Amino acid sequence: MSAIQLSSVTKRFGDVVAVHELDLTVESGEIYGFLGPNGAGKSTTINMLLDFVRPTDGTVEVLGESVETAGSGLRERIGVLPEGFDVYSRLSGRKHIEFAIESKAVDDDPDEILDRVGLTEAADRNAGGYSKGMRQRLALGMALVGEPELLILDEPSSGLDPNGAKEMREIVEAEANRGATVFFSSHVLGQVEAVCDRVGILNDGELVTEDSIEGLRAASDSEATLILTVDDATDDDLDGVRGLAGVSGAAVDGTTVTVACESDAKTEVISTLSGAGIEIQDIETESTSLEELFLSYTDGEGVAETEGNTAGSAQDEPADMEAGQ
Amino acid sequence: MSWLVVARKDFEDSIRSRWLQGLTVLFVGLVSLFAAISLRLPTGGQTLTTNDFLSGGFIGLLSGTLVPLIALVIAYSAVTGERESGSLKILLSLPHSRADVVFGKVAGRAAALSAAIGVGFIVPAVILAVGPLELDILTYIGYTLLVALLVSVFVAIAVGWSAAAPSQRIALGGAIGLYFVFVPFWDLIQLPLQIALTSLPEWVPVSATAISNGLLLSNPNAAFQFLTNELLQGQFLSGEMASLQLAAVSMLLFWLLAAPLAGLLLFKRRDL
Repeated sequence: MSAIQLSSVTKRFGDVVAVHELDLTVESGEIYGFLGPNGAGKSTTINMLLDFVRPTDGTVEVLGESVETAGSGLRERIGVLPEGFDVYSRLSGRKHIEFAIESKAVDDDPDEILDRVGLTEAADRNAGGYSKGMRQRLALGMALVGEPELLILDEPSSGLDPNGAKEMREIVEAEANRGATVFFSSHVLGQVEAVCDRVGILNDGELVTEDSIEGLRAASDSEATLILTVDDATDDDLDGVRGLAGVSGAAVDGTTVTVACESDAKTEVISTLSGAGIEIQDIETESTSLEELFLSYTDGEGVAETEGNTAGSAQDEPADMEAGQ
Repeated sequence: MSWLVVARKDFEDSIRSRWLQGLTVLFVGLVSLFAAISLRLPTGGQTLTTNDFLSGGFIGLLSGTLVPLIALVIAYSAVTGERESGSLKILLSLPHSRADVVFGKVAGRAAALSAAIGVGFIVPAVILAVGPLELDILTYIGYTLLVALLVSVFVAIAVGWSAAAPSQRIALGGAIGLYFVFVPFWDLIQLPLQIALTSLPEWVPVSATAISNGLLLSNPNAAFQFLTNELLQGQFLSGEMASLQLAAVSMLLFWLLAAPLAGLLLFKRRDL
């Protein structure tokens, strides 16, 4: 049984298509990272999983039940950290956790949960005085109540300091080890890559890629950018390099030559340039980071296109890539 | 009983509200003040009871104007406020249906306000009891319970409206509108209505009195005034008007359930 199954789901808000024919499956027991820039449709998708928002078209199943017909009982099996939520400012943190325990009709120990999310000291203060990070911890604590089969966390690390984000990851891993499925969204790849089994990247309401972290890493590792400092070179000098197998592009700017190529082709590039009578004074290699790969997806440009734009990929500003097209 | 869990949380949240506390103090203050004043009034040698205090007009006026106002102020944002702040997401992330939320909020807030009303009537009762007035305890409790019922009905109307309203601004505007419809406007149309009804054409199958009574009692406020008058005359749910009293009670119970239900129907179809 899949933990989450979306079949050609579309959501329109008036004229705006927030999610477009999305097919997405999250298997039981996996940690799935749902990536995408702000406004990509991640929260809309999650809101549809929770029946906060109803799809215009398509079906949404969670834990084998259609969310539209399942009723509130389904949420006894799910822990949710929603996006854009607010706490009850007049109630203490402990009251919030107790409320979740009563709501789910379980007998968890509130103190244990508060301790897990690091709110023991603030437990008896009104949640209205909590910082953004503390509110985030409190909502996570409420989500953890009742050992849910599925955790749905919308931007769980927002508002957390690096230490808090690390604790969040540890909790996610512990929950997965317990056997829970974890589905969480983020607009920052760094939070996802450390823990996820699988990653889906959403852009403009569509899933642009879906792969394991290893798969994504393999895709980015095979790419490299060579930055060479030379005595003098013209664009014509690079023709030989452009003709090499594995080279996707080359450009010259004064005494700097930039070549985008597969890692294996680097030696060939250097010897070809030397053969053309260019004196190479310095060699620098940059591998495409996972972050750059992520950005390339979410800018609406495929990896292949980034490869072709050598001057752009040598810089780390994605905007340049577009301008250089 | 998921709605009970929501109700309990909403009760705990509401009693910590500054607005509720402030309005309770105001209510207690006004009722107590009137109690204190009534102790000093010349009695003409008669022994007065608390019934005279309650039927003195002031308490009825206070209940009829301030109680609906308090209920609307405390409850108009019950659903919209939470939807706009985002705490509704916390509530609906837990195993509560939207019906649990609406009815839980009606119950929680009605309980919180009824508690406030209870306090509002206990304090003056003590003042009156130590004074020369004779405490008619049963009538006094009955009156207090009717006020609690009235406040609950207005809470139900406000929560129902809050569930139906698409935004906080509309919820507020609507709550003000509801107040004017139920409190001053209904009284204003009574006289012209009575005049109009005297010239009712022959073919209308119901009597003018029936229409007039129906219209009067469909306002929870008027139904309440009618019931309290009968109570203070010692003929609650008995006497000549017994069936009309039953109709008034039914009307109050109808509002109590129908208003949240109507709000829920709209709320259920809406995206958060």
